[in-house]
Amino acid sequence: MIGIISYGAYIPYYRIKPSQIAQTWGREVAEIEKSLGVSEKAVASYDEDAITLAIEAGSRALETGQIDPKKIGGITVGSESHPYAVKPSSTTVAEILGMGTDYLAADLEFACKAGTAGIQLLSGLISLGKTQYVLAIGSDVAQSKPSDVLEYTASSAAAAFILGKHATIANILDFTSYSSDTPDFWRKDGEKFPSHAGRFTGAPAYFAHVLGASQALLKKLKMTPADFDFCVFHMPNAKFPKEAAKILGFTFKMLEPGFVVEQIGNPYSASSLIGLAAVLDVAKPNQKIFMCSYGSGAGSDAFVFEVTEQITKYQKRNKDTVAKQIKNKTYIDYSLIAKNILTKYRI
Amino acid sequence: MKVKVLGTGLTKFGEAWDKSLLDLAQQASLEAINDSQLSISQIEAVFVANMIHGKLTGQDHLGALVTSSLGLKCASFRVEAACASGGVAVHLGLQSLLAGTYKNVLVVGIEKMTDAATSKISMSLMGAGSDQERKAGLTFPALYALMAKAHMQKFGTTRNHLAAVAVKNHYHASLNEKAQFPFEVTEDRVLASPIIASPFTLFDASPITDGAAACVLSSETRGAGVFITGSAVASDTVDLSSRKSLTEIAATKQAAKQALAQAGIDLTDIKVAEVHDCFTIAEILAMEDLGFCEKGMGGEFVQKGTTKLGGKLPVNTSGGLKACGHPVAATGVKQIIEVTHQLQKRAGKRQVNGANVGLTHNVGGSGATVVIHILQS
Amino acid sequence: MSSPVQIWRQHKQLNKYLGKEGKLIVWTKIFVAPEGFEHQTPYIVGIVDFGDKRMPLQIVDCEEDNLTINQKVKIVIRKIGKVRAEDVIEYGSKAKPI
Repeated sequence: MIGIISYGAYIPYYRIKPSQIAQTWGREVAEIEKSLGVSEKAVASYDEDAITLAIEAGSRALETGQIDPKKIGGITVGSESHPYAVKPSSTTVAEILGMGTDYLAADLEFACKAGTAGIQLLSGLISLGKTQYVLAIGSDVAQSKPSDVLEYTASSAAAAFILGKHATIANILDFTSYSSDTPDFWRKDGEKFPSHAGRFTGAPAYFAHVLGASQALLKKLKMTPADFDFCVFHMPNAKFPKEAAKILGFTFKMLEPGFVVEQIGNPYSASSLIGLAAVLDVAKPNQKIFMCSYGSGAGSDAFVFEVTEQITKYQKRNKDTVAKQIKNKTYIDYSLIAKNILTKYRI
Repeated sequence: MKVKVLGTGLTKFGEAWDKSLLDLAQQASLEAINDSQLSISQIEAVFVANMIHGKLTGQDHLGALVTSSLGLKCASFRVEAACASGGVAVHLGLQSLLAGTYKNVLVVGIEKMTDAATSKISMSLMGAGSDQERKAGLTFPALYALMAKAHMQKFGTTRNHLAAVAVKNHYHASLNEKAQFPFEVTEDRVLASPIIASPFTLFDASPITDGAAACVLSSETRGAGVFITGSAVASDTVDLSSRKSLTEIAATKQAAKQALAQAGIDLTDIKVAEVHDCFTIAEILAMEDLGFCEKGMGGEFVQKGTTKLGGKLPVNTSGGLKACGHPVAATGVKQIIEVTHQLQKRAGKRQVNGANVGLTHNVGGSGATVVIHILQS
Repeated sequence: MSSPVQIWRQHKQLNKYLGKEGKLIVWTKIFVAPEGFEHQTPYIVGIVDFGDKRMPLQIVDCEEDNLTINQKVKIVIRKIGKVRAEDVIEYGSKAKPI
């Protein structure tokens, strides 16, 4: 059975509270915190980008899984903050991780679901027997226009998943994807910051696709939420995933272990993957995990995972759990944000 | 060995806005040739020391450029060894005389730094460091700050010890009309000035300076005069991290041993010295590595006044790099000039009475090149 | 900074350093930066001892006050210096307390 062999998560060290951002722009923080539900978000340093985050997550997946990087035959890096418009992040990541030269690499973009799209696509290489392992990474140093409401949630993180056929820690029972042309959130080539369509990002966008993919997968597998121990949904804020879970019939108890948005914000392509990593950090053998990502533009990738006996040994080896990284932080003020803007836009 | 210092020429060190590199080189060179009482046509070779002019302006080929600007067509060379360029140029000029190739040579060290932005200068000076040091965002103040920190950790050296070097050298410079900063400073002022790389403040660092220093060297050794009797160069790794120790400059020890042996003298014969105080810690290290005091005791040695004018061994009577200024490649030659003037009893208010043997100590980078000269009258 | 060819050659060596653990033996906080690093001040640079060799490295994700002599650090990969419009991005080793 094809499944997850190992994974690695990386959450940057710095955090900023909404009050620091609100203060900068002269806004009332209480209302913002209430509507978004994010109490602090992770901020990458000025010398970090989607590539360095992906390297960190990837190297953790390799180390904890004790995998020889040269055995990885496919790599995707999904991001909406690839450092280059032309030159793949995945080859730089592969080179520095020591993957050699015998691999397929491709960069993916699909807003916040570019990471999970990689899992679906690369699993094909495994089932065709083309290679023993593949590496799918979701990594973002999310950009938002200064003073825009997105600033309170757009954050940074990366998660890497190595897939294979043998000694998996969680098997992929099945997956589906649900896509349509939906202009809820976009950034044209050459533009510095993304734009969004306000309330249109809700029902016709996030909910239509998350519910569409999730219901389709549950129907296909003839399963109900009661069959699951955990659920993870893309977390653009604290409200949407809670509501999606409720509509589908999942409980908050199932959602909570992977519910990281309140403490780290929305790291775009890494959002649902960090949630999945947090769940795998605590899951027990034979437990079932439901995951559905969402990417604007738009689409959702839904997955059902079943945890295996191997998870116990894996958890003992894992030095960098999501919970540990959420705690390992230091607070900053807007000055790092300013330095990051200068750096990123080469001012 | 024995080579005579026939003449010296020195521009004022400082921000020479209206002077170009060539203006400075000509001024110092013509003064030195004049002082030597030779005619310009008797100069058979010109050794030009310079570190960063090419990087700052795109102009290389300085050997030929300076020589022809003096109206000469003799042999010309450009010498680079980071901040030891001047001392190494003297060493090479001397070798050419000892070899019998030439009889009279001109050695001129020049640096024109103030035309460029400070951050560009800082980056250019890091050419004296290693690639990994540049990638780590290091600067020369930071490299020496690391040595200072290590020295403080190992021997208990304090910021007050460091400040004592700056205070003493400023006092000496206040007596030197060629110095960039001819004024005294207090320890409080040194300690309170802005931090540039912890624990260093602005006053722990030598400044950005324009200047030129020249001397005419001759193989004619009859009669009275000032002679260079020892000249040794030693190297070490460019990268500070690769050295055996962070609290000593091994190349100083090596070159000193050789130079003293060549001159046939003991350390205790030295009456006056010009050492490389690019940063305050560097003078403390020099006192230890040259052997004037025990390793680890350099701070105390300076603090108690031994090396101040009037003390047993005045060091950096010119004001050193800190207060006289540090036009990088000119410094090594300026050091020769200061000691020469001391031995010629020409140092005016800075005169060390009875000085008959002197030492110059010139360092490249964080200690990768060291050149030491012994002068005797 | 470095040319594309230099960066290409250097990136090939980075896997050797990734995750390497060492001890921080001395450090300084830099307030006046060279060209290409002005946007980073103040930042910390130290010398790390890896046993077989020592390296000068920028120390990241820490406060100067929390550093101790011989503190354990590990190498992480980060961007080096400032990137101009036409440059290739240079990645390199830095050290992070563990």
